[in-house]
Amino acid sequence: MLRSTTAAVLLVLTPLAAGAQAAAQPAPGPEIASLQITPSERTMKARDTMRLRVRALDASGNEVPGAVVRFNRAGGYFEGDVEADGLIRSGSTGTLPVMVSATQPGRRPVVERLEIKMVPGPAHHIDIATPIATLAIGQRMRYTATAYDNGNDKRDDRVLWTSSNPAVVQVSRDGLARAVAPGSAKLIATAGAATREVAVTVPSRRIASLEVSPASADARTGDVIRFTAKPKDASGRAIDGLTPIWSFSPGQGVIGTDGGFVGYEQGTYTITASFGTQTAEATVTLSARDVRRPLEVVGRSARKRFTTEEVWLHPNGKVAYLGSGSGGDLFYTLDISNPANPIVSDSMVLNTRRVNDLMTNAEGTILVNTREGASDRKNGIVISSLADPLHPVKIAEFTEGMTAGVHSAFVYTQPKFGTHVYATNDGTGAFHIIDISDPYKPKQVAEWRSPRPDAGRSLHDVDVQDGLAYLSYWNDGLIILDVGNGIKGGTPSNPVVVSQYKYDLNDLYRQVELAGGPGFIRGTHTAWRHKNYVFIADEVFPSSGVQGAKDASAGRAYGRLQVIDVSDYANPKSVAFYEPEFGGVHNIWIAGDTLYMGAYNAGFRTFDISGELRGDLRAQQREIAHLNTADMEGFVKNSAMTWGVVVRDGLAYVNDMYNGLWIVRMKPKRGITP
Amino acid sequence: MRRAAVRALCAAAACALLPGAKLQAQALATTPVPASVPPQQVYTIAIASEGTDEIAIVTFGPGGARVQAKVPIGLSATDPDGPHGLAVSPDRQFYYVSTAHGTPYGNFWKLRASDNVIVGRVMLGNFPATAQITPEGHLAFVVNFNLHGDMVPSDVSVVGVDDMVELTRIKTCTMPHGSRLNPQGTKHYSACMMDDLLVEIDVATLAVSRHFMLAKGKEEGMTGAPAAMSSGAAHDMSGHGMTAPAAGDDGCSPTWAQPSADGRMLYVACNKSSDIVQIDVATWKMVRRIPTGAGTYNLAVTKDGTKLIATNKRGQSVSIIHLPSGRELARIATRRRVVHGAAVSPDDKYVFISVEGVGSEPGTLEIIDLATLKTVATVDVGQMAGGIDVLR
Repeated sequence: MLRSTTAAVLLVLTPLAAGAQAAAQPAPGPEIASLQITPSERTMKARDTMRLRVRALDASGNEVPGAVVRFNRAGGYFEGDVEADGLIRSGSTGTLPVMVSATQPGRRPVVERLEIKMVPGPAHHIDIATPIATLAIGQRMRYTATAYDNGNDKRDDRVLWTSSNPAVVQVSRDGLARAVAPGSAKLIATAGAATREVAVTVPSRRIASLEVSPASADARTGDVIRFTAKPKDASGRAIDGLTPIWSFSPGQGVIGTDGGFVGYEQGTYTITASFGTQTAEATVTLSARDVRRPLEVVGRSARKRFTTEEVWLHPNGKVAYLGSGSGGDLFYTLDISNPANPIVSDSMVLNTRRVNDLMTNAEGTILVNTREGASDRKNGIVISSLADPLHPVKIAEFTEGMTAGVHSAFVYTQPKFGTHVYATNDGTGAFHIIDISDPYKPKQVAEWRSPRPDAGRSLHDVDVQDGLAYLSYWNDGLIILDVGNGIKGGTPSNPVVVSQYKYDLNDLYRQVELAGGPGFIRGTHTAWRHKNYVFIADEVFPSSGVQGAKDASAGRAYGRLQVIDVSDYANPKSVAFYEPEFGGVHNIWIAGDTLYMGAYNAGFRTFDISGELRGDLRAQQREIAHLNTADMEGFVKNSAMTWGVVVRDGLAYVNDMYNGLWIVRMKPKRGITP
Repeated sequence: MRRAAVRALCAAAACALLPGAKLQAQALATTPVPASVPPQQVYTIAIASEGTDEIAIVTFGPGGARVQAKVPIGLSATDPDGPHGLAVSPDRQFYYVSTAHGTPYGNFWKLRASDNVIVGRVMLGNFPATAQITPEGHLAFVVNFNLHGDMVPSDVSVVGVDDMVELTRIKTCTMPHGSRLNPQGTKHYSACMMDDLLVEIDVATLAVSRHFMLAKGKEEGMTGAPAAMSSGAAHDMSGHGMTAPAAGDDGCSPTWAQPSADGRMLYVACNKSSDIVQIDVATWKMVRRIPTGAGTYNLAVTKDGTKLIATNKRGQSVSIIHLPSGRELARIATRRRVVHGAAVSPDDKYVFISVEGVGSEPGTLEIIDLATLKTVATVDVGQMAGGIDVLR
């Protein structure tokens, strides 16, 4: 015992002599009872450093010699870093959980979790949401301002307002302004040392009359109607540059400062424009959108050996390709020349355990499929000849640098640059561009990564249209790259960033964390460009299922589809959304004015996306159809897990992870039966 | 056709004993071996299947081998989480599984052995893989293999398993792979697949204490942490142990570090050169290189110190090595390809082998009688079977 004891002491104080063998008996002497961690104030500025120190104490409060102390990050993986010796490096605002431990050989570690609050630095600048520059005499207007630090992190400061000339414009501390006399004034927003001014002019002409146009309108729920207010003076001359406060009642909907209104429920709404003393109203009557249509299942190919992954159609419209997952090592070729009777005509077995994505070129001469889970750990992409579309023949593969697996690949041809595969890298989160102009000799021409530390970079999907690549970059939101469009001088071999739309996923899906605990799965998952919008959909799963439940009852997907207006590429903004009551949003397809969606547990859904989009698409009755793609013969029984859809010639080819392929037609609206 | 017949026998979840099994290829031993007899007790084995996100709980007893339960593991309903490493606590009350895939980080899970209920989880680094619990049961060492990321030095996570918190990460080398603690629980050894290095961590100080160069002709032990990583091994990891080395390549590409039963020796599997480097822990010098089948991958030793078991990933076989002599007693063919892990029964009578399979082939648990050196049972489990340990 004496020998062991001595050795154990040495273990703590000095490394053992090479090769000495001593069992890890509990260390002699006092046990660690508590950790004394300093400083006790654990708030730091974002992007700053801070050092924590700790003393391991015994029950008597004496420091325990030889205890090995370590600091480690316990979360906040994208917000900061923790050195083992207690140096904290903040990367952004937020909360950085830190695990502090003290160990003694053979004994249970003593651990303490603490949180470092990383707050913005001092106010550096102020943004004003509505910098309205002209007010009519008597007009009231609420000004809203937000303070940011020098890293553009938003602060919680209450921004205080003052007026340089209260005789012209008065303003409350909270930013409620009132124009009282002609002239000019500066409204000054202040937060700490930061200030921002809004120059406000009050014309001498008073508003004598006010009109809102259109004075009345008839529309449907979901239609965006733009109202304008026309103030005039006593002589009937228009007073330009004035902005009213818009409101409406009754009913549900939204109206913006631009006068754009969308209502969710049918009925008559009163729209009001207010300049304080002067108000005017308009009326809008909304009828039901009435887009609901019945569905018909035309054909079916149940698959239950593996989960079903991506579906793709050959340009001839007579052949479908269907991937497999959950250990699936093949993709199927289906003869769909008779959609009522899809027939599996061939399959290609590959060294993989998942064919997540597949796509042909526009001519239908080649097919590209992804691989994940190959037994030799080579994954990458496989290229097949479609000389006979029903019987693809593998002609090449590309794995270099993509051995971790490829989740998504998009085949796109630009006459100027040739045909390329735009692919995701499961391991590095990089975006790979592979020239397959000669499909027998694929070669990589570019690799691009989002500008963030390697940690946390994850790329899930790619859509390319008009030479612009829309990357669903998980933690980084939507990133648009010029890969040949020319808007930023990009080419396939030199992709250039156009813009990014990033949003707070943790905040958006707070309820998922409440339901299933922290560490849940969430990220920007897919994107589709249509008109001036990019539709992006998130993939969200809770970190734990329902306790005691199994199979379909054990868990569910969540998620939101957002409509991003990219009319101004430099400033993409979210204007509308859809979120199912139960289920998620996965892959989408848009044809004409219809959006088709695989919504995981929420089944297959279609939406009317005609006209301008704003607000909650579900609330405004834009949903056209729904099919619960569950089947008792499924990979998982009686449970929908709708993946996505391809639309061709009026038929929707819907793939469901658990249930294979559904071929669905939306039928004409039902006639009204007296 | 014989293979097909065996498959038919084992098509169901349960698979009968195969006395005098037909699967053996070469019995290299010259001494007579006794005939296999059914086990008199029931062993319970846990196997993680990376391809199907499940853990198979298999019993092996007088009635043969049978899958008793399939335990789903992972976070994502749609993307693979990839359970890879598996370790049973010394008191057999819990088992732990690393899930290697993630966005991008993997996790380490704690499950109660009595009912397979998940009781804890902690996020670790990139591709957490091999795991082991210290003898006193308080710490887990998990290598962050970083298979999918860039070729940069990675680390070993140390987890306090009572609270399921990650205490620290110890930077070691590029692609730290198969790792084991010595029996005393004082040292942790991991193989650096892309650096041709073995790294020793001192458990008391939670720091790298020594390292050892393993490339043929360059074998050398050194103190302290490696000064520079990526010491020249080829960085084409695509084959992950399945690609034979090019002519003239003397690299080791180590995939497992296994202490001897008494902790005085170390055995390191050189996947590329298909041999095992034996190192004297005290002198920190190489003792010998022991040849194996093609692509030796994971190792295990019997507690009596007489046998070393090596899975041969490329060779579709298992080598049983007599340690006192360094002689290969038998090279036993496996039913399926891509042989992965090995775990010895507590009584040294059997070794349980996990075999990944290829594509949609099931994974396989193959059970070898260490007295007769024959496969006595096989049972199909989920695809890509890897991490394996004996629950009881």
